[in-house]
This record gives sequence, structure tokens and C-alpha cells, in this order.
Amino acid sequence: MIRFIARRLGQAAVIVAIVAAITFALIHLAPGDPFSAVLDNPNVSEKVRETLRAQYGLDRPLPEQFVRYIGALARGEMGWSFSHDLPVREVLATALPNTLLLMGVALVASFALGIIVALVQVARRGSIIDNVLGAISLFFFSMPDFWLAILALLALTYWLPIFPVGGAVDPVMHEYLGLGGRIVDRLKHLVLPALTLTLLASASVARYQRAALLDVLPADYIRTARLKGLTEKEILRRHALRNALLPIITLIGLSFPALLTGAFFIERIFAWPGMGYAVVNAIGTRDYPLVVGGVIIGSIMVTLGSLLADLLYAWADPRLRSH
Amino acid sequence: MPGLIPASAVIKPAQPRESPLGLTLRALLRRRSSRIAMIVLGVIILVGLLAPFIAPYDPAAQPDIVALKDLPPSLSHPFGTDPYSRDVLSRVIYGARLSLTIGILATIVSLTLGVAYGAVAGYIGGMLDAIMMRILDAFLSIPRLLLMLGVLVAWPHLSIGALVLFLGLTGWFGLSRIVRGQVLALKHAEFVTAAQALGASRRRILARHLLPNLVSPIAVAATLGVAHVIVLEAGLSYLGIGVPQPLASWGNIIQDGADQVARLWWMSLFPGLFMVSTVMMLNILGEALRDVYERRS
Amino acid sequence: MASPLLSIRDLRTYFYTESGVAKAVDGVSFDIGAGETVGIVGESGCGKSVTALSILRLIQPPGRIEAGSRIDFEGKDLVTLPDEEMRNIRGNRISMIFQEPMSALNPVFTVGDQVAEVARIHAGIGRKKSWELAVETLALTGIPAPEERAKQYPHQLSGGMRQRVLIAMALIMKPALIIADEPTTALDVTIQAQILDLLVHLQKEFGTSILMITHDLGVIAETTSRVIVMYAGEIVEEASVTELFARPHHPYTEGLMHSMPHIGHDQERLNVIPGTVPSPTNWPHGCRFRERCPYSWDLPEREHPPLYDVGAGHTSRCHLAREPQRRNHPHEPLVVQEGVGAA
Repeated sequence: MIRFIARRLGQAAVIVAIVAAITFALIHLAPGDPFSAVLDNPNVSEKVRETLRAQYGLDRPLPEQFVRYIGALARGEMGWSFSHDLPVREVLATALPNTLLLMGVALVASFALGIIVALVQVARRGSIIDNVLGAISLFFFSMPDFWLAILALLALTYWLPIFPVGGAVDPVMHEYLGLGGRIVDRLKHLVLPALTLTLLASASVARYQRAALLDVLPADYIRTARLKGLTEKEILRRHALRNALLPIITLIGLSFPALLTGAFFIERIFAWPGMGYAVVNAIGTRDYPLVVGGVIIGSIMVTLGSLLADLLYAWADPRLRSH
Repeated sequence: MPGLIPASAVIKPAQPRESPLGLTLRALLRRRSSRIAMIVLGVIILVGLLAPFIAPYDPAAQPDIVALKDLPPSLSHPFGTDPYSRDVLSRVIYGARLSLTIGILATIVSLTLGVAYGAVAGYIGGMLDAIMMRILDAFLSIPRLLLMLGVLVAWPHLSIGALVLFLGLTGWFGLSRIVRGQVLALKHAEFVTAAQALGASRRRILARHLLPNLVSPIAVAATLGVAHVIVLEAGLSYLGIGVPQPLASWGNIIQDGADQVARLWWMSLFPGLFMVSTVMMLNILGEALRDVYERRS
Repeated sequence: MASPLLSIRDLRTYFYTESGVAKAVDGVSFDIGAGETVGIVGESGCGKSVTALSILRLIQPPGRIEAGSRIDFEGKDLVTLPDEEMRNIRGNRISMIFQEPMSALNPVFTVGDQVAEVARIHAGIGRKKSWELAVETLALTGIPAPEERAKQYPHQLSGGMRQRVLIAMALIMKPALIIADEPTTALDVTIQAQILDLLVHLQKEFGTSILMITHDLGVIAETTSRVIVMYAGEIVEEASVTELFARPHHPYTEGLMHSMPHIGHDQERLNVIPGTVPSPTNWPHGCRFRERCPYSWDLPEREHPPLYDVGAGHTSRCHLAREPQRRNHPHEPLVVQEGVGAA
């Protein structure tokens, strides 16, 4: 087990290094100076330009630049975000908790929802309920993130003004609320973006989990469970679900890219002040260091997510646990 | 359930002599869901092909940027007009053409890359395989959208051709892993050994003996891949770094109305509906294909 | 015999497949007395496993037990029993042991938990008590250090140990009937003998009836008192073990016996009955064995044979009972060496 963890950690480190190399290549393969947009900008002071050039050492030979780049990354330095006039690290550090909150809520809610939907479907497999739920899942599965977010925004903030239009808190009132009021205010702002992301993510969870359950059902040990006199429901809940949860742990790891991508769009549309919001705005201002920083942090999150899922899997599967 | 149905009870009827393509098509047509999917997709493809004949207006024309802008749906503009007074229906029709073309072309690029990379890694194996797979892992852990962001922000004002190329370049990782697995499994199959014994070259074995066995995963990946590219392109266009103006793609049209979503709801709703239908039907078809192939094997 | 423990009458279990209706079990009737061990023997596809699963009503769609079939057990008709009562019988009054000890255990639960689960369902006892009972039962099956073994997962046990776990699972409620479906097929020869000994021993100790389902006449000879031979969804012969081995009547039974490997005889190839079991979607009319039978003549082709009484509680579904002289003139050998005439 310890050897497995060590090997898996090593792999993750290699992956992050390759990701760093890819982003480095991106920066240097780009035509001309990647900061031409920046350098043309009259608002960018000479000091910032120098910082940028020093940060990336643009005048030095490539291998040296690469070593410096990796070294800087290892210290958590990702350059200077001129649109915020702050180090990229700080911009992202401020935004990250909001993104993590959104993704975390959506992750938990979507897996709960998805698993329940799958259980209902499998318990009544072949019925109308199964087919209808399947069609709904497919619908949400096929939905581009940003379009669902727009629809949710249209429907639930404009046509039926139930939720606030955007942001993480009320821009005016929040300061004047008491503790309880502030929490309610935060929650009110969280519901719609989290719900949108949950719906998007739960569609693939439900579809995946349904397939996993159906894969498990023909197993001999399910027949053994029937033989013991368990009801079909008990069999589903206890014997089938427990085994079908193993692939779902893998799915947790795999779902990070989709959750992150979804969060990017949703944060933009609901003005949720997270990493996606920062990075998407950076596209508009051509704040390249911030975009690359987002790519790096996003990739690290995905790598960590799949690493975590693998460790969880090893822990949950008794066949792996004992080795 | 082994043991429940005696093996002899599920004897399959003799396979009729028919081409694999014909067999697949027939199996697809037997399912109602994939029949519907094929019809809907057929209609959307037709709309795209015949765009110049169907579209009521020139999709780029801005007839009267003051009087005709931001009109809600009406008889003369069923999908309304955009802030530049362009007819949204015409743009959606031309959008079908562009979005589908981009989807198909980019998928061709990624299929080629995915098969080549996976086949080489699986067939040669060893150290090379290990290195190639690590690199693949790294690519797989950068969300595709983020990778595209990095690329498109570094190279602003890309042409459509370059956009297609990059969409293709970022879409082959999953397939190549499947292909590698298949090649690895087939490498030691008897018919491959036999071909080797007969002196066939590596390239010939790959092309003649292994590739035909990869048709099913490729067909599935192609169908789902097109759906994926359409969504991705729309997302990038929505962020303003995809298809350049004044060309119309579904994501582009939504982007034009993005600043005033509530007031210009028709600009998000209609192109979105087309996009979701296309993607949903492609997903249905891709899954039906997978199902058909899995049953056959 | 007083009223038997289990009485099956005209059991028909059909599978509605795309290629037609597979009559996997087609009109089977037999009894099992209390404390009796009955064997069902036949090739794969003869309907013996489907018979077993029908008794527990574990036939999954597209399979179905046809109306008119009766399975009487302890005064209840299992064919029409409500689901809830049927579940009460499974694992409790009737239990079953499968041939795949590898896959019949759930990989994510400890074996002790899986054995105890049966007691939790049926005895209404809590976790602690059911665990103790499980450990006791595991001990009964001869598992060494049962307390430790109970805490292990299936993959940590050998095949023989897993089969003992399955036996413990079947035994924990002291059922009236245990159905053993090829309980030793997947095991090494030495382990096979141990498991069979264990079953015989437990049967004697608890007076449980056993229905032993196997393709192996050796297993039948070692464990059972009465034998049913099945072929093509039907019973073709039934007799006590001694009677059957002494005077096999049906040519199929004869063929099975000749194809048994004999220890001590130096046999290079195994004898086999030529031909294969016909398709259950399309049983031949007349005698279902006639295409493989060396004695077949026009009568078996015309007429489906009934079960003839051939004396000493011995029945056989063969027209030879009517024209015994034909047995002296086979037109083909009864068995052939494998690979020579089987194709």
C-alpha cells in the first residue's frame, strides 16, 4: 500500500512537470512576444514590463529559461497579473476558495443525486421511469455548460426572480447584515451556480452509475444474495451498490476536468468571484500570465483529484487494500 | 448469468453475408432512439448543406443597425435580430453549417492522431510505450478547455483552419489510449503471429491486420468526438476566442447576446436549442453504436 | 414413503429468447424425502441447473416457470408462493451451493459478514450474535481458525476454503434441503474429495436433504442414494444408486457410464457419446436421444417415449423397455474415443 502511494505520488509529480513543460512550450511557441498585447498597453508601466521580462527571462537561452520557469513555479510564482496589478499567485489564491466551494458543493450534490437517480432507474429497469430519467440525464449530459447556466439565469433570476443575479454576496447589503444574515445572503448567492453545476455533473454520474449497477447485477454474488432471501431492494442497496461504488470512485477522479470547466463558465455567467471568473476576464484583457496560471492550477487540481480518487479506490477495494 | 440459460439455448442464427457497415446500419435502424437521432441529424446536416437556399437573409448583412437591431422574434424574423440588426435565424442556419464542419474536420484530425499515437505505443511497447503513456496522462490532466484557452490566448486572431487544427490537436488523448489497449491485446493474437511468420512488415501488419479491428472504437469515438468539439467550439466562441466575427457559429451567436441575456433571450435560446439537439442526437448515436459493437463481440 | 419433503410435478421452465422458446426444463417430476440425498446427473444443457434454480424460483427473465408446474415443499406450492414468503424460504429452509466459489462471494464484504447476513435476515438476530453463529458454522465446515478467517475477504481464501464458506452460508439456518450445483467442479481433485466428505458428513449429522447436481457419476456414486438422469430437459432414467450402476437401462445412462474415466485402467483417450445435445428451442420429436442412440429404430422416431417402469423402483424413458431384444444389435458403437468420431 505504501509503495502504491509512493509510486502514485511520483506519477503525479511527473505529470505536473510535463504540464509545466507544456505551458512553457505554449508561452514560447506563441508568435512574437507573448506579452505583445501587454507591452503595447500604455497602462502597463515600465516597472511591470521589467518584472515580466525578469520573471520569464525572455532574453536568455531557452533551457535556462525553462529551469528558471520550473524553479519559479516550484516556489509558487506564476508571474505578474497586470490587469489586477498583483502577482498571479495572489489573484488565484483569493479566487480559489470560491471555486473550491462551488466545485465541492456540486461534487457532493451531484454524486448524491446521480447515485439516487441510477438506483431508481435500475430498481425499475426497463420501465417508463427508467426511460424518462435516462432521457433527462442524456439531455443534461448533452447540454453545453454555458447554455444551461444562461437558461438558469434567464429563468430563475429574470423571468421568475427567485435568486439574486450574480456575485457571491449582495454588493450593497452584505456589509450591513448580521452574521446570520450574511450566511443566508451567501447561501442565496451560492444556490443557483451550485445547482447548475450539480445538474450538469449529476447527469454523467447517473449514466455512469446506472451502467455500473447493470454491470454488477449479473454477477454470481448477486445470485448468492438472492439465494439468501434478500429483497431486490436490499440486494441493490447493499450488494450491488457497494460494488458499483468502486467504479464511481474512479468517476470522481475523472469528473474533475468537467467540474472545473463547468465552474469556469458558470462563474463567468453568475459573476461568481472564483478562479474561472478571474481567468475568463483575463482573456478579455489579454492578461496572459493569469491565464497560464489558471491553466497550471487547474491542471494541478485535476491531477490531485485523480490521485485522491486512486488512493480512495485502493482504500475502498479490499482486494487492493491488503497488498 | 452463467448457468441459467444453457449455452445451447442462446445459439445465434447464422450470420447473413453482409458488409459490416450494412450490419451496423441495420442494427442501428432497429432501435427507435437511434432512428430518431439519425433523422434529426439528417435534417440538421441538410439545413447546414442547403444554408444558402434556406436562409431568408444574408447572415452577415447589417441592413439597418438602428431600426432593425435587437428585434424580438416576429414573422419576418422568426428568431429575432441581433444588436447589429442581423437575422438570427439565418445566422443559426449558417451556424449549423460552420459548427458541424468544424466538428467533423477537427474530429478527423484527432482520430488520425489518436490512432497513430495509440497504435505506435501499443505495437512497439516497452520503454517508448511507458514514456508515451506518461505524456498522455499529462495531457489528459489538463482540461481540454483550459488547454485551448492557453493556446488561443497565446495566438490571438487565429484563422478558422488553425482553430480546427487546435481543436483536433487537443481531442485525441482518450481515443489513443483505447487504441493502444486494443493493439496491445491484439499484438499477440494468432493471426498477427501468422502474418509475422509470413514475413509481413510492421507497417503492413498494423494497417492490414490491426486497424480493421479498431473500427468499432473509432466509430464510437468519432461520433462522440464531433459532439464534444461542437460543445467546445461553442464554449470558446462564447468566450470570444473561438470562431472570429462576422462568421456565425452557434456559440458566436449566443456570445453576441451575452451582455444582455435577459433582454435578448432569443439570441441564447434558439442557437442553443439547435446545438443541444445536435449534441444529444450524436450522443444517442454514439452510444447506440457502442452498444451494437459490444453485443456483437 | 410418507409425504415427501419436496415434490415436483410437471415442472416446465421455458426461456423466451430471440431465437425461439428454449424449453430448458420440459415436464420434470420427482420427489425428495426428508434426509434423503438425491442426485441429478446429465451433460451441460440438459436442464439440471435450471431445475435447481426453478425450485428456488431464481429464474431470471426471459426465463419463466410455466403455469401448471407444481413444486410442493413443506405444504406450500413454491411456484405460486408470494415473493415475500419465497424469500423466507431461500437461505432458510432451502439453500444452495454453486459451482463457482470464486465469484459467488461478494468481493467487498468479509466472508464472516456474508455468512452472518443469512442469519440476520432469517433469524432476526443482531450483528454480534449472527457473527458468533457465523463463526460457529464456519468451524463446522472445517475451516481452521474460523474467528480469523471470518474477518478476511474472499480473495484472501483458497478455492476450497471459499467453497466451505459457501457451505457454511447454506448451512447456517439448518435448512431442510440443500441444493448443491456442481459443488466440486471448480476445485482440485483432493479438495473435491474433502468437500464431498464434508457434505456427506453434514447431511448425516443434521439430517438435511441434499439435491446433488452434477455431470460426474463419480460424485453421484459417492454421495447419493437415488439418481435422476436428465437429458434434453427431461428425466430419462431414475433409480437407486446401486440399481442404476448395476443395471443402467437408458442408452444415454449407459453412454455416461462408459465415458467415465476408470482409475487404474490405462486409457489414452476419454470415451464420449457421439453427437451433441440438441437445441432446446427445437427438441427433436419422438425420442430426444434418438439421433445419438446406437439402437434407434422407427418407434423412437414416431413416438415420444413415456417413463417405463422397468422394475425395482427403476424407471426409464426408453422404448427398449418394450423391445428389449434390440439391445443386442446396436448399429453403431455406444461411445467413441474423443476426437475420433465425435465430430
